[in-house]
Amino acid sequence: MTKTYLLFALMLVSSLTYAQRKRSPYGGGRPPGSKNTFLEKQWWIGLKAGTNLTEAVPEARYSAIVPTNYPASLGEKAYDRFNKTGSQATLEITFYIKRLSLSLQPTYRHSRFTYANQYEWFNPADATQTLQLKYDHEQKTDYAEIPFLLKYDITGNKLRPYVQAGVFYSFLVGATQTVNISGLDVASGSANPLTYPPVIVGAEDLFENYWGWTAGAGLDYNVGNVRLVLDVSYRMGMSNVTNTQNRFSNDRLAGIGEAQDDLLMNNIVISAGVLFPLRFLSTSFRTLD
Amino acid sequence: MKKIILLFACSLLWIACSNDPDPATEKANFVRVYDNNQFNASYRPLDVVQTADGGYLILGERDISEDGAPYYAGAFILKVDAFGLVVSELEVTSDKVNPLAPILRLGDKLYFFNMDPLTTQAQLSEISPNGNLVATTLVSGVFYPAAAAVDGNGFVVLGYDNATRESVVSVVSAAGTASTQKGFSIGAGDAAEEPIIEHYNRTGNVFPFQIGKTASGRYFFNGFYDYTFSLVFTDLAADGPLGRVNGNQGNGGFSQLMPLEGNRYAAATFSFGRNFLMPSVTINESAIEQVSNLEDASGLSLLELSPNATVKIYSVTIKGTPVTLFASNTVGKQIALYAYDRLAGTLLGTHYLGFSNPFEVGAVTPTADGGLAICGTTYVAGRFPRAVLFKMSAEKVNEAF
Repeated sequence: MTKTYLLFALMLVSSLTYAQRKRSPYGGGRPPGSKNTFLEKQWWIGLKAGTNLTEAVPEARYSAIVPTNYPASLGEKAYDRFNKTGSQATLEITFYIKRLSLSLQPTYRHSRFTYANQYEWFNPADATQTLQLKYDHEQKTDYAEIPFLLKYDITGNKLRPYVQAGVFYSFLVGATQTVNISGLDVASGSANPLTYPPVIVGAEDLFENYWGWTAGAGLDYNVGNVRLVLDVSYRMGMSNVTNTQNRFSNDRLAGIGEAQDDLLMNNIVISAGVLFPLRFLSTSFRTLD
Repeated sequence: MKKIILLFACSLLWIACSNDPDPATEKANFVRVYDNNQFNASYRPLDVVQTADGGYLILGERDISEDGAPYYAGAFILKVDAFGLVVSELEVTSDKVNPLAPILRLGDKLYFFNMDPLTTQAQLSEISPNGNLVATTLVSGVFYPAAAAVDGNGFVVLGYDNATRESVVSVVSAAGTASTQKGFSIGAGDAAEEPIIEHYNRTGNVFPFQIGKTASGRYFFNGFYDYTFSLVFTDLAADGPLGRVNGNQGNGGFSQLMPLEGNRYAAATFSFGRNFLMPSVTINESAIEQVSNLEDASGLSLLELSPNATVKIYSVTIKGTPVTLFASNTVGKQIALYAYDRLAGTLLGTHYLGFSNPFEVGAVTPTADGGLAICGTTYVAGRFPRAVLFKMSAEKVNEAF
């Protein structure tokens, strides 16, 4: 994990250093007839934050419970799609040139996704001998991400819609899993609803770093020297987020039959923030327009 | 910037490959619970062996109370592949009850003893590596089989003859023919017989009967003799024991015994609910001793073990060191593994298996990849006894001990 942070920091520093390398020879003043030059090249830095929704897509299914007399599909996990909100904070560093921008957007993202499975035990000869148990799982993951994006401004007005696409690489920071077990016990004399204390475990060992691509659209709105930004992106995971070596390593989860599926993680990410130009910062200059 | 992009691209490629499931890893570590959705079903594994195809064969008891044999345990044979996935499950018919662990390997064939519920005579069943029942032979003259072991090209079986009220040691050929037999009186009176019958009927304590051979070539059995659950040494020639270690009626005695060399044994005992582990204890095969004296001299009292806990002892090699491995059950409903240096008798480490639901040990077997397979019983949903198989890789075993 130390290496992960180091790599992250190096990439960030190198980007910032690069951003400062070509300083304007005109200091804080506007060069003669430079409005167009300014518009054609600019570095932006800023912060964004927002919310995200996650879906986990099982590529291969696993379970510690292996049925001997019923189909495994009966105990299969059903994944919910984009139903839990997470949050993220992004440092955006963008180099703009003639409507095109190359953007590095280091992000800390907290995401949640849920799934459930259930089992039933019964006696065909005695309907009162029935037990149903439902396992509701919630996984919370924290990733430090480095997305590289190419942005294209559709128009060049004060309100500037844009589209963007790129790839990202996500470093696992942490994860937890909560399992709520509930059920219906008919064998105790009546239909007795059951609720057990939740099983809450650190699940960092169950996840891995992964990569994917992202695409989205957004709006920039220029206010004075700053730029307000709102964007929506879809992130599609392209590699398995599951640490396959540790699939069964958590005794508390294995004890209740849980084994992590091979998963791809997709997100819808909504962010808003503010960007500042790195050149020509002066009260006498306007960033654009 | 180019270097960063190159680094980024390489990282993506590495990550894309590194997270793919690896069959070797999937075989090396897993936990599998074999569930049956019948409310009254009950499965309790007794032993596991690894087969040549890398899979596993699990022998166990099952509840057959609804099959017309209310007093005995039925048998099941579960064949799983190297990933722990079910290949076949055979619920052995209820004319073969009270299966005995361990699965006996004679040459390339696998056997287990069980009992005919009508005549209470022993039966020898051969099972294929695929988990099928090949043949079953009635072993005439051996009643109420309680324990069995491989003995040369055949077997030695501990049984009980309720006509003569004797614990009987029988040498049985691979064809299922009993030859040499020697009986040892359990004592007069119904009180002496009651715990034995309750053991077979599964209506009382299940005793850790055992039979085997010492390093010197004598036979030993752990069973009832002279009103007491005792360790008895015999050459099957002399009348009466050559030596013995008395237990305390049905309340104390050996839980398991494994000969090391000479008069040294690895052993576990129970006494009125308490449990003692003895990684190295010297037992005089020609003397009469009390198990309590051995416990005082060499026993490690493990309060974390469940009352009168099942204890299994194995000889394994971990990190190149000969190890005596004890497997047992804790009061916390976990399976506990204790590894001791076989020569020095010192503790190398402990490891616990199972959480969330109760777990009980069935058996442990070393695997071809240098790891361990541990079978047992877990209570799914806290109540349904089901077979569980843990597979620990060599790396995990090395980490644990």
